[in-house]
Amino acid sequence: MMNWIIFSPEFYFLLVSTVFLCLSMMRRIKPEQLYFTALVLASVGVGVCLACVRLTGDLFSGTYRIDLFSQVFKVMLSMGLFLVVCLCTELEGIAKRHHPEFYFLLSACTLAMMMLVSSVHLLTVYVALELSSYSLYTLVFLRKGRDRGVDAGLKYFLIGASASALMLFGFALLYGSIHVAYLVEILKILPKVLNRPVVIIALILLLTGFFFKLAVFPFHFWAPDVYESAANQVTTYIATASKVAAIAILIRIVALAGDGSAYLVHMLVTLSIVTMTIGNLAAVVQKDFKRLLAYSSVAHAGYVLIGILSMSQAGYSSAIFYALSILMMKFTCFLVLVKVSDDGRNLDIEHLAGLHRRSPILAMALMMALFGLAGIPPTIGFTGKLLIFTAAMQKGYFMLVLIAMINVVISLYYYLLVVRAAYLLEPKEQLPELQVPGSIKVLAGLLIFGMVAGGIFPQYIIELSRTAAMTLM
Amino acid sequence: MTSTPISNWTVLMTAVTAVLPFVAFLLIMVFTRKNERLSAGLSIGAVSVSLAGALFLIIQYRHLTTSVQYAGKWLVSGFITIPVGFLLDPLSLLMLTIVTVICFLVQIYSLGYMAGDRGFSRYYAFMSLFAWAMISLTLSASLFQLYVFWELVGLSSYLLIGFWYEKFSASEAGKKAFVMTRLGDVAFMLGLLLVLMNLGNLDILKLNSPMVTAVMSPGLITLSALLIFGGVVGKSAQFPLLTWLPDAMEGPTPVSALLHSATMVAAGVFLFARLFPFFSHSATAMTVCLAVGTISMLLSSTMAMVSRDIKQVWAYSTISQLGYMIMGLAAGGYVAGVFHLTTHAGFKALLFLCSGVFIHQYETNDMFDIGRKGGRHLKTPMICMVIAAAALSGLPPFSGFFSKEMIMAQLAGLGNPIWLTAGLAGVFLTAYYAFRLIFIIVFPKEINDEAAQENSAVHGHEETEHHHDREMAWPLVILAAITVVLGFGKKMLQGFLSGRLAGVEEMAGHHSDWLLYVSVSLAVLGLVVTWMEFGRRKAGQIGFVERIPALKSLFLERWYIDRMYRRLLDVVIYRGVSNICTQNDNRVIDGSIDAVCDGTVKSGRMISDLHLSMIQYKLLVMFVAVFFLALYFFF
Repeated sequence: MMNWIIFSPEFYFLLVSTVFLCLSMMRRIKPEQLYFTALVLASVGVGVCLACVRLTGDLFSGTYRIDLFSQVFKVMLSMGLFLVVCLCTELEGIAKRHHPEFYFLLSACTLAMMMLVSSVHLLTVYVALELSSYSLYTLVFLRKGRDRGVDAGLKYFLIGASASALMLFGFALLYGSIHVAYLVEILKILPKVLNRPVVIIALILLLTGFFFKLAVFPFHFWAPDVYESAANQVTTYIATASKVAAIAILIRIVALAGDGSAYLVHMLVTLSIVTMTIGNLAAVVQKDFKRLLAYSSVAHAGYVLIGILSMSQAGYSSAIFYALSILMMKFTCFLVLVKVSDDGRNLDIEHLAGLHRRSPILAMALMMALFGLAGIPPTIGFTGKLLIFTAAMQKGYFMLVLIAMINVVISLYYYLLVVRAAYLLEPKEQLPELQVPGSIKVLAGLLIFGMVAGGIFPQYIIELSRTAAMTLM
Repeated sequence: MTSTPISNWTVLMTAVTAVLPFVAFLLIMVFTRKNERLSAGLSIGAVSVSLAGALFLIIQYRHLTTSVQYAGKWLVSGFITIPVGFLLDPLSLLMLTIVTVICFLVQIYSLGYMAGDRGFSRYYAFMSLFAWAMISLTLSASLFQLYVFWELVGLSSYLLIGFWYEKFSASEAGKKAFVMTRLGDVAFMLGLLLVLMNLGNLDILKLNSPMVTAVMSPGLITLSALLIFGGVVGKSAQFPLLTWLPDAMEGPTPVSALLHSATMVAAGVFLFARLFPFFSHSATAMTVCLAVGTISMLLSSTMAMVSRDIKQVWAYSTISQLGYMIMGLAAGGYVAGVFHLTTHAGFKALLFLCSGVFIHQYETNDMFDIGRKGGRHLKTPMICMVIAAAALSGLPPFSGFFSKEMIMAQLAGLGNPIWLTAGLAGVFLTAYYAFRLIFIIVFPKEINDEAAQENSAVHGHEETEHHHDREMAWPLVILAAITVVLGFGKKMLQGFLSGRLAGVEEMAGHHSDWLLYVSVSLAVLGLVVTWMEFGRRKAGQIGFVERIPALKSLFLERWYIDRMYRRLLDVVIYRGVSNICTQNDNRVIDGSIDAVCDGTVKSGRMISDLHLSMIQYKLLVMFVAVFFLALYFFF
């Protein structure tokens, strides 16, 4: 007899997606009603996940595990969904008739990601990963104005499919060589056989699927196009919730290798360096704000890898902390982006000119978020980077940290360009004051507060992520 | 001197007293900048609560014999803690009372003076910022904390001097004040570091306890005392950093009254008094301080003798009175110095506020102009100003007389008669320049028809303006009353202050009667000379100094101190150091940074372009990269 209570977050989101599936079959449903329903359901979802945070247990003959690690990430995912839904008041980027599908796909994707962070069997990992990917492919297609979304969606799909193929091949090789598929069992065997070529190649291939999700080089090619071409809300979701899930599963898989081998570390170091350098350099010359954020996401994937490749408890907990900080900072950027481009179009950086006069609170939020992304104290982004770099230094990866620091300096340049646009540039023509609803102002205020508070008093979150990371080892 | 923990109630009271003006500052800056009345209300409300708190504290602790300290810890990160706390002893309580009283009165006065100014809210915000910094400075328990607020006080001074920043000279004066005081602060900071390295902490009580001599050698104590004294020199505008203060008069007059006479510049003297036992360990340092005080006192008195600008005269006079305080302290007269600080705060603020009324009314700083336009018809400010000038000159029975007497007694107690001689010469000069200004305004020599017309115009003017002059008049009357009464509180204050120094014996001053007569008669002599030259009917209104061109220009040019600085700046800094730095900056640093930046942007563009390629190539790159990663394993 299985203990179904511990499965309740997943049940809940299954229910939510069913509701939207049914709604999509009904005619004549107003967008406002849909938005309101989604908002209520998503906020209840956060509550459900919070209530279940301390549950533990195994399900489905041990292929599915509920522990603090997974539950913490489920809370983050449900928060991500809730925040994205908050931005959907004017869903201009997506045709009206697709709105129910949009919400359905969002909740289905969230469900899949929740399953992903709890999966402890190669098969469940694969199924959950694919389920979340397919929802996202479709979401990208939904962008109004046909060719754009289709083009990016197709690229996304092709790269994703190739990565999946490689990953599946990796699974097969791994299973073929060590004959187990439970992650717990793999954890016991893998560290001893890490010197066998077939195992290591299996591991490389297997990781590609997650690298694709996180947009690590060389699987990051989809990111700029997809970020640019998807509807703003979808991009928000990809940049926040989907990244959080990718970090979670990557931590789980890399943790399998125990202390790792020199080769594995070298490979990850190489990827991390190339990823952040490419991301930061390419971001410097971007004009489209979403494309810039895409490259910035790539760079951040590189930073997160530093934490993960440290393969220590400090490293994993720093990566968890960083996931949360990315969620908050990236979301704040997109909040501003969505609110400034209220008709759902893409936003160039120069369109932000004069923002501090049009809406001081949004400009403030944007500045704090960008400072956080650039790692300026006292924001949560600074603390996150500090933790990651400290973890790497403990392992003695001095050069890696140095290169990362140089990258941080480069990133400062383009983040400050955006801040400059928002605060110092004068708009070409006089623009009216932005009509920002009170709830969004409150949300922006809360985010600013959260980013600063998380930077000054990170103790509680650090403790939590440390305990969560402990369940992995 | 043992420290006892204060009850929670007092801590709360002190904290409220200190922090409330800061809250007002924030509120005004963030919310009420557009609403002038609310801004002023907030600021005055906060400072009145502080005033009430200060009075409460000083009454509660009137019989205080030991210092009371409350120390908390402010956690900066896991390893570093910085102690913060309050130190309540007679000195800090007295200073706190002075600061809050003057702040309160000046803010009331400013209601009238600043009415209609565009930066009204900003003015009150800065005033609150200053009040917060100054109150916290007086209550600081450690030198580190004191230093932080020391700098904040300097910042608010800079902001208020340059308050009318549209005026070029005002923003220049702000900059000058900032830079010159900073020079002193560098020395102060070095002194602090020296103490920190040798003593391990910057606790004021620890620094003042006798155990310091056991830890630090006499040479080190002298060196650090002199370095710390550098900060005093900068802040209190003593020689050789004295020229910023006259320029600081570019700010609004209430600011001059509050910051540049009564409180902020006195912070230097306060620091000296605060560390008095520490300074006492080094006779050399004390002698240097004495010399600096004396030189500043004499130099600035002479400058005051020729200036035509009413505020400048009081500015020079402030420098010279601060010099007196330092002389008193350095001669070992702790009570004398602090007492003079107290009385000076009262009468100098009064002088400035009175001058403010004239300046406000006649829109000129020139004393001859004011006299010509009928300054004597403004009765209240004129009487108040005469009282304050008498106090300044040390005429009995006003407050300045008592405190100056104490300082003279201290100086007489020293072995070398030169200090006493200089001090007495200063008394004469003070009386001369103070009454020169009064006589010029009261007995103008060139009343012509035009002036008479203006007289009547002024009368009409007076009536219309009376409604908002009341705010300006009340503080004057209160301060004048304080000036008259304060001197008689000498015994009480002496008892209150020396309670703190129970352990340290006060150097007994010479209480000989002849000194009293000599100094009073010197002050009267100064008065008489001024009367002969400026007051009486046939006087030419040209001082004896002005008859000697060389001397006049020497005094007018401030003993060429400013010019010397200018030369020094031009030759050494601009042409020497700064030129080399600029070359290095242009060629080496800029060049290489430009190259790096260009390289970064170019490679960024290249990489970004690569991402625009067809999907096939991207997939190809993907597979090739994976292939090489796998291949890498075999090497």
